[in-house]
Amino acid sequence: MTITGTWDSRLKTPLGSLSVLFTFTDVEGELRGTATGRGETVALRDLVAIPQPAGSTHLTWSQSITKPMRLDLDFEVTIAGDELTGSSRAGRLPKTSVVGARV
Amino acid sequence: MKHIQIVLFPAFDPLDVIAPFEVLAAACDQAGSDIVVELVCEGEPRRFVGGTRDLALTATATLDPTKPGYVIVPGVSGPVEGDPDAGDVTIPVLLARVADSAVVPLLRRALDNPDIVVATQCGGTLMVAMTGLLEGRTAVTHTLGNDVLEATGVTVVRTRVVDDGDLVSSGGVTSGLDLGFHLATREFGPNVASAVERLFEYERRGTPWYTERALIPS
Repeated sequence: MTITGTWDSRLKTPLGSLSVLFTFTDVEGELRGTATGRGETVALRDLVAIPQPAGSTHLTWSQSITKPMRLDLDFEVTIAGDELTGSSRAGRLPKTSVVGARV
Repeated sequence: MKHIQIVLFPAFDPLDVIAPFEVLAAACDQAGSDIVVELVCEGEPRRFVGGTRDLALTATATLDPTKPGYVIVPGVSGPVEGDPDAGDVTIPVLLARVADSAVVPLLRRALDNPDIVVATQCGGTLMVAMTGLLEGRTAVTHTLGNDVLEATGVTVVRTRVVDDGDLVSSGGVTSGLDLGFHLATREFGPNVASAVERLFEYERRGTPWYTERALIPS
């Protein structure tokens, strides 16, 4: 999969921007992911990747963090080449933008 | 002897502190109870300023999570709007500072103590929830913070007082009056609470939400 690898990304929380490294790996054909930020690594849940006709990949997942605060986040992003763009959302709060680049 | 410990920290919201303090102090007097109602803090008792005009209140004792009774956690006062990335010290940022402070391990011990009911008021609920301590609990915070509270793993019930047994939470600002009356009812029964309502010329608003953990007042 072309999306495997590490992505250096920024997202918004109610406490300000957060720098996060997303890592996607292919484990025997199954896509798995982790998010690392503020010294904490959490698994991505319900990770779904759907290849798009133009060669990009649409991804959705959920993750729960405790740093800088306990927060459930839902993501919807598109990976195209070395760029990651999309949004994250904490519960019912408005969506905020996520941007990242392949490391 | 039971204690009602109301916690002070920097930028506390004055009404969150004073409303339950006055209601519960009057309820203790009405009931002829020797329960101590006091302002406390983590560490040496000292003066704190909070509110929109830096009102000062002085803690007279150290927060002690071994004393049976109640620990009441207020919210903070500060700007609702702003960009933390631009250095704006918004209410969530102020709450996060408290959530990162030495007061939280004491609150954790209070929550673990079966002889203590922890009551959170206004943004105080969100502050405790930021630390992950309210995971899976049912609670409420200020109406502007309920969506964030939900994202911390809390089941939110949008009312003025939520009774989840050893955790009682209340909504924004003036809900602290209803929190005080709710705790007074739990401790002393409805007659004492009603007598204080008459004295204060206030009638409780809203209907408290009781979860399965809650003790239904007799």
